[in-house]
Amino acid sequence: MTAAGGGPALSGTGAGHAPAGLTARSRAPRLRTVLALATVEASLLVRSVLALAGLLAGAAVIWLLARSAQPLWWRADWEIGAGQFVLGMAVLVSAQLAAGRPRRDAMAGLYASFPATAGTRTLAHLAGLAGAVPASLLLLGAAAAVIEVRGAIGAPSIAVLAGGLLLVIAAGAAGIAIGTRFAHPLAGVLGAVALFSTSATSHLASGGGIWLLPWEILQDQLGSLPGRLAGYPPAGAHALELAGLAVLAGVVALAVAAGRARPRAWLAAAGVAAVAVICLAGALQLRPVPAAGLNHLVSEVADPASAQRCASAGQVRYCLYPGFGSLLPSLEAPVNQVLAHLPARPARPLTVRQVVPLDLDSTLTHGHPGLEVSRWDARLQRAPGSDGAAPASAIYLPVGDWPAAGGQLADAHFDLALAAAEWAAGLPGTGGIFNSSESVQCVPLDQAREAVAIWLAILATRPPAGELQAGLGGLETGRGFHGVQARGTMVPTWNYPGEGGSYVTPPGGGAEDTAAGYLLANAMTSLPQQKVSQVLRSAWGRWLNWRTTDAQLAAALGIRMPGFRLPPPLRPGFTPPPGTTAGNADQPGPQTPVCAS
Amino acid sequence: MTLNVGTAAVRADGLSRRYGAIRALDEVGLALERGITGLLGPNGAGKTTLLSILATVSEPDAGSVSVFGLDPRDAAQRVEIRRRLGYLPQELGFHRHFTVAAFLDYVAILKEITDRRRRAAEVARVLAAAGLEGRARTRIRALSGGLRQRLGIAQALLGDPDLLILDEPTAGLDPEQRLRFRELLSGLPGNPVIVLSTHQADDIAAICPRVVVLLQGRVRFSGTPAELAATAAGRVWAAGERDAGAHLSWRGGDGRWRHVGDQPPPGAELVAPTVEDGYLLLSHAAGAR
Repeated sequence: MTAAGGGPALSGTGAGHAPAGLTARSRAPRLRTVLALATVEASLLVRSVLALAGLLAGAAVIWLLARSAQPLWWRADWEIGAGQFVLGMAVLVSAQLAAGRPRRDAMAGLYASFPATAGTRTLAHLAGLAGAVPASLLLLGAAAAVIEVRGAIGAPSIAVLAGGLLLVIAAGAAGIAIGTRFAHPLAGVLGAVALFSTSATSHLASGGGIWLLPWEILQDQLGSLPGRLAGYPPAGAHALELAGLAVLAGVVALAVAAGRARPRAWLAAAGVAAVAVICLAGALQLRPVPAAGLNHLVSEVADPASAQRCASAGQVRYCLYPGFGSLLPSLEAPVNQVLAHLPARPARPLTVRQVVPLDLDSTLTHGHPGLEVSRWDARLQRAPGSDGAAPASAIYLPVGDWPAAGGQLADAHFDLALAAAEWAAGLPGTGGIFNSSESVQCVPLDQAREAVAIWLAILATRPPAGELQAGLGGLETGRGFHGVQARGTMVPTWNYPGEGGSYVTPPGGGAEDTAAGYLLANAMTSLPQQKVSQVLRSAWGRWLNWRTTDAQLAAALGIRMPGFRLPPPLRPGFTPPPGTTAGNADQPGPQTPVCAS
Repeated sequence: MTLNVGTAAVRADGLSRRYGAIRALDEVGLALERGITGLLGPNGAGKTTLLSILATVSEPDAGSVSVFGLDPRDAAQRVEIRRRLGYLPQELGFHRHFTVAAFLDYVAILKEITDRRRRAAEVARVLAAAGLEGRARTRIRALSGGLRQRLGIAQALLGDPDLLILDEPTAGLDPEQRLRFRELLSGLPGNPVIVLSTHQADDIAAICPRVVVLLQGRVRFSGTPAELAATAAGRVWAAGERDAGAHLSWRGGDGRWRHVGDQPPPGAELVAPTVEDGYLLLSHAAGAR
């Protein structure tokens, strides 16, 4: 060793010279290094607490979205996508942390001394996103299994499900791009928040523009459709865009990692290709939903009979859209139970029919002429159930609202049984129309047939007593009550289980059940069923007459008419309804709230 | 500064590097052979800058480096240098949530040891060399500072590097660990080129056949430790009282004063100089310029 200015010079042993063909040799181990590093990174990602949390949160989101209604695959696969979105946010944060690890841990200097370059490491991080695939597939598989077990209708779309997986990968690639530039852990969190905010604010986009955010699933009417509608949402284009975004994020990450190094042609080419794919996918997503598909949909909705398949059982016909046949046993059970307890079959038939509460918003109609859209709207306005009511001989079931299991299914069964019982008892409905002050034309107040209908529904489905009692709203304890105004009279009412669930549109829009009617029906359930049946059978026609009162039925059954005390204060000018301790009305007059038909 | 040697394992010629107004390296020239070279210098002398340039981590503003005949300015040759390099930076962070073995395994991959079996054997080897066998499954965050330093040394040893650059490797090590470190370096196979910077002159004296003193960004000495010590010959003396004319004085364990200075008083009791004495005199001389 020597230095100018003195000191002994050392002879040169062990020195070497630059070997020829070094570039080729340098690249040879790169692929193996990428694969080995990617394996480690994938393993870290698989075991990441963040990814696990994302998996659980994603599963929770899918459950929250899909738990209530009967699963429809054309909606459920997008709900799985929503879960993948949550997992994707977790993978984004996790990937950012991994990519920023050397700088965050003050190891950039050491890493710079390794033969594996920053580009090699970034490539390995990108390949290591394979570690997110098991979590994504697990989420998909578990959700699909649960959805199938719950009796899913239709079939899943491979494009939609693949889009979910691509979403996770694209989010991870974005995380790596962020982490390559910004090592601070908050950078990934901010990235995830930004991703989420684009989803949360996507309602600002209108028409087809909304589909430019492939992670958006909430602004749609998938749950209202009677089947899959081609091009709505554009799943294939979504998947294409997500793939393009994943590649673009990867290119950005590699470009950032390369820093001042000479830009590589293949990287630039990949970036250009990714942008081209994204643009192409965007153009595809902005295309209108095919008019033929929309025409067919409008026809199916406006004229369900043209598309539905009907099955008859006695006087009842069940008409369901193709693919919904598996619902039939769930619909027949409560109706058959009601029919089984009827002393006599009603004269008129009943149709239980699925209807589609479709609103042609701009996500469906974008790109179509206004005239065409007006025609579709006009046809839909005449569609069954579009006014929230059903004819006196029909029960409507809005597509997508029928629950799959649990308490909601029990409520839906009760609602269907009550609707069938009201049809059997000939109770007139409110027409489904309430004005702004919760006022109805009439109520079946003090009419024995109402109590009979409620008793039949209770008998058919046996709901928990507490749930039935809760419908009084505290009336039994004098703490409050539910009520409606009918022709200027406030009438205490009873909210039946599942009333707010809109599982069923009863005949005529359904009767407004009174508290008095429920209380008498409840008293009837405490009697031997045989005794009640005998009394009803003995004068069935009389009990169905609107003039027959609760008191008369109670007397025939040998029970005291249940009463209740209205809680003070009631509004000025209140007319106490019949059947209460506050007053009585023997006959319906011009201002009477009682339904006189 | 220019070299006057033709062939050396590692050569630096006219290296300069500035950080703003601070000149960290000023035309440094070096020629390193196989074996251990100690780099001595105070804080801010440019040791870390020099080592990071030799490790291809940073680039000089001027001058050139050749490592085993390879030029780090060329990307492919730089990678080739890194394949033969083991580097311990002065302030090394760690992935604290990794276990010791997982960290070494990860670094081994970054050093392109991609064969799983070879990697496992290599990790086991350096764990044993650094005395960390029992800590393989311990998370790094649970290690003491000394153990982390040993882990840093272990990662530098991965792949049997031909060039080992250690920036203050003994910082944070207790006396026993320092002795073990000396043993470890002395027993490395293949006679690699080892450059270590340290403040510990006794480390240099104990294991380095060659020493370079870097002061204010310039090489002030290059030679053997004995030669460095010899630069202080006749300028170290002992006395019962403190000598105000000495550059540095301290009372030894025997109660007598040891003086280092340019001119001992007439009749002074001269004592044999050490590497430390030589370094102190060089440092003082550099400061006086």
